[in-house]
Amino acid sequence: MITIELNGNKQEIPPGSSVSDLLALIGSIGKNTAVLLNEKIVRPENRSTAFLQEGDRVEVLIFAGGG
Amino acid sequence: MDLLPLGSYTFSSRLILGTGKFSDTRTMLDAVRASGAELVTVALRRFNREQMEDDLFGPLSEIGGITLMPNTSGASSAAEAVRAAHIARELSGSPFVKVEIHPNPQHLMPDPIETFEASKILASEGFIVMPYISADPVLAKRLEEVGCASVMPLGSAIGSGQGLKTSGMLDLIIRESTVPVIVDAGLRSPGEAAAAMEMGCAAVLVNSAIAAAGDPVAMAGAFSLGVVAGRRAFTAGLMPKSGHAVATSPLTSFLGKEP
Repeated sequence: MITIELNGNKQEIPPGSSVSDLLALIGSIGKNTAVLLNEKIVRPENRSTAFLQEGDRVEVLIFAGGG
Repeated sequence: MDLLPLGSYTFSSRLILGTGKFSDTRTMLDAVRASGAELVTVALRRFNREQMEDDLFGPLSEIGGITLMPNTSGASSAAEAVRAAHIARELSGSPFVKVEIHPNPQHLMPDPIETFEASKILASEGFIVMPYISADPVLAKRLEEVGCASVMPLGSAIGSGQGLKTSGMLDLIIRESTVPVIVDAGLRSPGEAAAAMEMGCAAVLVNSAIAAAGDPVAMAGAFSLGVVAGRRAFTAGLMPKSGHAVATSPLTSFLGKEP
């Protein structure tokens, strides 16, 4: 396993995982998410080919209620 | 048709809804429907697998006729707000952004300097920028000059329900602005929304007054009526004020009295 930072917390994932694999792991497939990999936006069409490395920082964001 | 122009968009509803603080998503969606709002604010948050129902993009899209206006709440600087706006645009596909930068959670007053800087950058990038500001006519004019589609001064502090405490300054902003002026925060009642519209506000943005009402869906409908009444009164033209009484009935020729 490798360790990445997901939304500020440590997360273990299998080596060779893509952003899509990570989204499936955390149950956010089917949600409308924005993903940042090391501060850069990863568009939906690129998520299955964006592979994660040890120490990568990932942010998964959604729209929640706000005024 | 009396439409609200914002950037290249027009809206027939002049009530803009916030989606925070509702007891559940279903109530929020029913309130949006009851309000007739076409422009709705949402906030960007980290995905949390324990709170799966938080994702509002899908449910709001299903209503139809809704344009999202993501806000930058949580940002405490211009750089953070610009970053949030870019991410939100990626997610929403909407060019609207409500620039909201309030670094102090005690009073939630907007930071005028960071708000100006962020708004200037985002307007130059083609966003339809809607800055949430204090009721400051000078700042409002500066924001208009850098290309903001609107200015959104507060009526009173966010979520306070204190109403139109800033009405004197709002009046100045309305008179000087060439972009729509939208009262963004502090309203408690449909009567206050109507009063804002009668003053010449182009629209109002309401969240807490609806979300925290006894019956949020009914209150959303009431605000819709208040906004329409206020707008019609404004376009009809209010009568002039007078410092003295002006009779509405004839005072002469009464029961034999001659004029």
